[in-house]
Amino acid sequence: MPELDFEMRLDRLFNEPPVMHDAEAFARLVEMRLDRGWNLRQVGIGVAGLVAGLVGVSQLLGSRMLFDAGEATQRNAVAFTSSVNGLVRTGENISALPFGGEALWLAAALGVMALAFAVTRAVEEFQ
Amino acid sequence: MAGVRTPASLHDVELAALAAAGDRPAFGELVRRHGSAVRGLLRRMGAEPSLADDIAQDAFLAAFERVSEFRGEGTFSAWVRKIAARLYVRRWRKESRFDVEAEDIEDGHGGEASAAARIDLDEAMKTLSPAERMCVSLCYGAGVSHAEAAEALNAPLGTVKSHVKRGLDKLRLRLAPPEGAHGEPAGREGHA
Repeated sequence: MPELDFEMRLDRLFNEPPVMHDAEAFARLVEMRLDRGWNLRQVGIGVAGLVAGLVGVSQLLGSRMLFDAGEATQRNAVAFTSSVNGLVRTGENISALPFGGEALWLAAALGVMALAFAVTRAVEEFQ
Repeated sequence: MAGVRTPASLHDVELAALAAAGDRPAFGELVRRHGSAVRGLLRRMGAEPSLADDIAQDAFLAAFERVSEFRGEGTFSAWVRKIAARLYVRRWRKESRFDVEAEDIEDGHGGEASAAARIDLDEAMKTLSPAERMCVSLCYGAGVSHAEAAEALNAPLGTVKSHVKRGLDKLRLRLAPPEGAHGEPAGREGHA
């Protein structure tokens, strides 16, 4: 098979790398370009991040978001104050009852004592 | 005690795996090993040495970007050579250096082999027309099939096949052993 022999020989010849005396310099050049590309990429990513951050901040400032957030905070503060005022008013109303606030506190204390007694009994029963 | 494994002691597939993880010195070792093969192929394809070196550098940079695609099914050298060959073909087509479908003009070297000298492949390739050189290099140097070469060159498959055949005939004549150089081309009876 001379045809096949020749093609195999050609394959072999093509696969034999020529000897190049500047092979090391060539490799260094490629490594240098790789490093340069890597550094550029890092700088590029950093710059892109910075630009994206600046754009984000400018959008935030340009939008009504902060204004709306301020308004919402103000509304919440007003609502909280009115809730506190309501509680205070309720306390005052209780104090203004005909039997007075003392009677209420006394009833609460008696309730607590009754509960404590019930718990003690339950513990004694189940021991 | 197991010594530290330097890039030089690793197999191409291991180096490629390291390079895929971003290890640039590992890739540098691959360039050291296969740079000459890639540059040699580009020169055989017809590129001037400086252009061949530029394209070889671009090919290695492109290979670094895509090194995770290299699975070790073929050799690393063949893989990069294919990348380099495609880059050169792209450039060659962009610059419209010549028409691959144009009729070849017989060059000054003629078809007959020198009886005295046994010319090496690089010299023999110079006797081919640019289109033959390109087609033979793509198919034998870069391991590209005829169909792939036709697609890359944007030429009909038949044209690529005939360039390869004519190129092989010329190479056979040039690369014939000295004892066969006086007679017919070794192992082949001419062609149309």
